Amino acid sequence: MEVNYRGAEAIVETRQWLGHKVIFKTRNKRGYRHPSLEKKLVKERLRSESRIIERLISRGVNVPAIYGVDISNNCIIMEYIDGITLEKALRGKDFEQYLAQTAQLLSLLHSLNVVHGDPTTSNFMVTNSIYAIDFGLSTVSEDDEDRASDLRVFLESLDSHHSEISGREIFLSHYSEWSSSASVIEALKVLELRGRYNLMRG
Amino acid sequence: MRKTLSKIAIGIESTAHTAGVGLITSEGKILSNQRALYVPKEGGIHPREAANHHSEKLPDLFKSALEEAGLTPADISLVSYARGPGLGPCLRTGATAARAFAYSHDIPLLGVNHCVAHLEIGLLEGAIDPVLLYLSGANTQVIAYAAGRYRVFGETIDIGIGNGLDKFAREAGMGFPGGPKLEKIAKGDELLDLPYSVKGMDLAFSGLMTAAKQKLDSGHSLSTVAYSIQETAFAMSCEVSERALAHTAKKELVLGGGVACNMRLREMANIMAEERGVKCFVPERSLCVDNGVMIAWLGLQMMKADYNITEKDNVVDQKYRTDMVEVTWR
Repeated sequence: MEVNYRGAEAIVETRQWLGHKVIFKTRNKRGYRHPSLEKKLVKERLRSESRIIERLISRGVNVPAIYGVDISNNCIIMEYIDGITLEKALRGKDFEQYLAQTAQLLSLLHSLNVVHGDPTTSNFMVTNSIYAIDFGLSTVSEDDEDRASDLRVFLESLDSHHSEISGREIFLSHYSEWSSSASVIEALKVLELRGRYNLMRG
Repeated sequence: MRKTLSKIAIGIESTAHTAGVGLITSEGKILSNQRALYVPKEGGIHPREAANHHSEKLPDLFKSALEEAGLTPADISLVSYARGPGLGPCLRTGATAARAFAYSHDIPLLGVNHCVAHLEIGLLEGAIDPVLLYLSGANTQVIAYAAGRYRVFGETIDIGIGNGLDKFAREAGMGFPGGPKLEKIAKGDELLDLPYSVKGMDLAFSGLMTAAKQKLDSGHSLSTVAYSIQETAFAMSCEVSERALAHTAKKELVLGGGVACNMRLREMANIMAEERGVKCFVPERSLCVDNGVMIAWLGLQMMKADYNITEKDNVVDQKYRTDMVEVTWR
């Protein structure tokens, strides 16, 4: 058993399970929260995350398959994606291709009314194609502002980790291949004009 | 060679309710922390009346700070004031007082960022590279240092947590400041169902406070509602700071701002830090609330790194965001 990540609401571990290498994502207890609030939140989030992944799987989107949900332990057992993170992959020479594929994947999520919530470069895995992982903050939404907020999170993580490549144009041009992208790009412009984002420029 | 000598800075705080004058040495020894609080007769803060209050109090605060420390203006090597963010009239009053003192005694003058000062004073407690959970009236932010700036990882997308508490308390018939009054009466273990709004590392409080008022109107006791507000709002705050800790892989948490005086919040933050294996630093109350000492301390940190004072440091800025400050002193 190998702990990969201790997040703010879950522990992510790699384990052997029925002869496979799988991911256990366990929402462990937060002692600072009132017990009934804790119970309600964990149940809601467990349910929402599994449902969203199910929805994407059924449409053939590249996301980790769910093998099981262990409600008594607040745990989702899912496919282990054997690859490197997009963050690492973008440091190589094929970054343009990866950016294009990621943009297409994100627009596919959006076209299925799923907003990822935290699409940083560490939440995409590169194998022979690109997978989106960690749907802990995802929501079902067809609001262009929510979608634009996804774009902003991605572009910001590009900017902070990969300032050496000018990925913004490449990413947005491939995102724009989606027929309904124009209003999202428009919403992104409005979002980025807000004080709290445009003052980040140094 | 002069750099190795101890220096003393005077700091002037006047961003909102508090007029404060503080004195601190470059070794971090606090010589005086004088404060006067504007309490509105009714309703919320009135910027002009608060400014009038500050202009009335500041001269005495200067005097008593110097007296308490046993110093004269000649002993002071820097005048530091809060340039922003804050209410325009209040900021201008503090800036005017700072300028008058600096120019008449020929001391360098430097305007600093109020939010960054809250963070830097937390470092006096021994933290080195923390995540700051900054909860005050108008400001609710999760801040940490990354690549030359204090970046805001999460913040409120509507109202500040303290203003929310104050507003609820006011509507429930309690006076200002509402937060401490709610803390006193918050009791019980029955948790009412209130909106828990965490969006990534961002927070929202206005829906929570509206729902709380409705619970009160529908007959729930004030102590139960106050208890439920605290449990919900503070759990949200702890969750976003834990997200920032996970995201940045930092090992220290510092609390700051007036709401950080709340004992339940402190307890929850301590539990979170312990469960996560990070260290939690809580400055004493008089340094959590708005004060002149932290302003003076930040000024000293900036000058220690040979900060180049320009004209813009002499102008107040109501919307002076945390992440606008280029951190040259770390």
